[in-house]
Amino acid sequence: MKSPLYRYFASATHAHSMPMAGGACVALALFLFSCSSIPPSHRTTPPGDEGGLPPRYSIVCIIHGDGGYLYHDARGDAHRADEVTLAKAKTVAERNTQAEVFIFHERRRRHFLLFFPRRDGTLYYYRHGRLLAEESYWRDRGQLRFDPEMELYNRFRVEESPELVRLFLYFGHEIPEFGGAGYDASYKNRTFTVDDLAGGLKRITRDSTKVDLVVLSTCFSGTPHTIAALAPYARYVIASPDNLHLSYFDLRPFERLDIGLREGDVSRFANVFARHAFDRLTEDIQTAVTVVVYDVDRVRGFVHSVDSIYDQALITVKGKPPASIERCDCAEDPAYALPGMNEGIAVLYRPPRFGRLKHKKSHSGWECWRLVK
Amino acid sequence: MSARTTLRVIIIMMCVLVYAGIAVGQESVQKYFNDAACKVKATADPSQKREILNNELQNMSKALDKVRSSPLVSKTDRAAMDRFKTSLQEKQDELAGTNGYARVSDDQLNDFSDYVVQDMEQADKTITISVVTALLIVIIIILVT
Repeated sequence: MKSPLYRYFASATHAHSMPMAGGACVALALFLFSCSSIPPSHRTTPPGDEGGLPPRYSIVCIIHGDGGYLYHDARGDAHRADEVTLAKAKTVAERNTQAEVFIFHERRRRHFLLFFPRRDGTLYYYRHGRLLAEESYWRDRGQLRFDPEMELYNRFRVEESPELVRLFLYFGHEIPEFGGAGYDASYKNRTFTVDDLAGGLKRITRDSTKVDLVVLSTCFSGTPHTIAALAPYARYVIASPDNLHLSYFDLRPFERLDIGLREGDVSRFANVFARHAFDRLTEDIQTAVTVVVYDVDRVRGFVHSVDSIYDQALITVKGKPPASIERCDCAEDPAYALPGMNEGIAVLYRPPRFGRLKHKKSHSGWECWRLVK
Repeated sequence: MSARTTLRVIIIMMCVLVYAGIAVGQESVQKYFNDAACKVKATADPSQKREILNNELQNMSKALDKVRSSPLVSKTDRAAMDRFKTSLQEKQDELAGTNGYARVSDDQLNDFSDYVVQDMEQADKTITISVVTALLIVIIIILVT
């Protein structure tokens, strides 16, 4: 004879078996869907079908958001740097009616119901101010760092005209010059270095014309090594050789490229953008603010002359524990303080308003490594 | 509730806590100093502003000392915590005008409180302290304050 307890469990099991089976099917379907290669895009118009003149400007914007990107403004309100930048980049894309704009948002990998991974990258593709495609993708597919982005870039981009002005923007933490593991919070073993970034730029330029302007909205990107790595693929670079607050460079000058680049003068536009970014940062930020425009052709001589010294410094610091190495203004190291150091750069600098460097009057525009004494 | 169900609930809760802990641990330290900056700005009296800042910096230093001695903390985390503690000590010195620093003037205390927050919110390398260590710091801070 079956006990009342057995009957209770038997009836409960029977009563719940159908919903449980249904739940399992749903979970399995979600799992299969999350792992499928079918892109969950919701393209509003097929690329190329919207008509109009070919774009005059091409912007590729990569926003890294897979890490600690929380910051607070002067009122104490919390913001996520990548989300704020994404909103600003979308405004840029919508207001430029003569541009095509690729915005790649690299997000932290999240899971549905804790187990089912979700796509962790999103492309927003705009042309003539209209969103033509919004497509999620997996960031970890491919041998090279920017394989997924390049696949999407090549799929959507228009055929280039000789007059096309090409602009590339990167927002994120300091791009490592060596090592590079742990850059992505979701992929601890995956590496990302300046050479990977240069590789991505190379594939955009496809060994032809250089990108007209590269904006690196990160800390410590104004180094001889970084500029040398980007030199084959960029005409002008805007970067911060020192620390940069997570509120980043303000994008407002990019909102009307038809005005800012009316004469096609990229050098002038770069300097206007740098001045605007500097002024906006110094309004609220108490830490150091350094924005530098590098005319890549003109800095080539200096970069070449310090190339071997910097490479040697990199070899030295590579094996050292993080606590024993630090960044410094290259001008503080006599090995780098060469006559051509100021050639081809426009430096905007304000020292930190507190701390041991608050009396530092100027910055050379170049950042180096040194061992902590 | 059967033992099996209880076990399932515990496992799911642990997963959620670890998952949330990644963000909570790292960001709570920033939030802690941001709250301090808000308190400083809401206070008119410079001596109170100074006291708030000094207490918050001291409490964080104490929390780091306590967590540092824990066997759960890795060698890498200890090095990162040492750098952070040095940075906090420099700020305490500047606030008080010791160790070669000029004392932060009364009319600059609001800006100094922003400086403390912003110095941690730079686009340099991401925080490398592990989830366990970050959570320990948060717990100790809650207990200390």
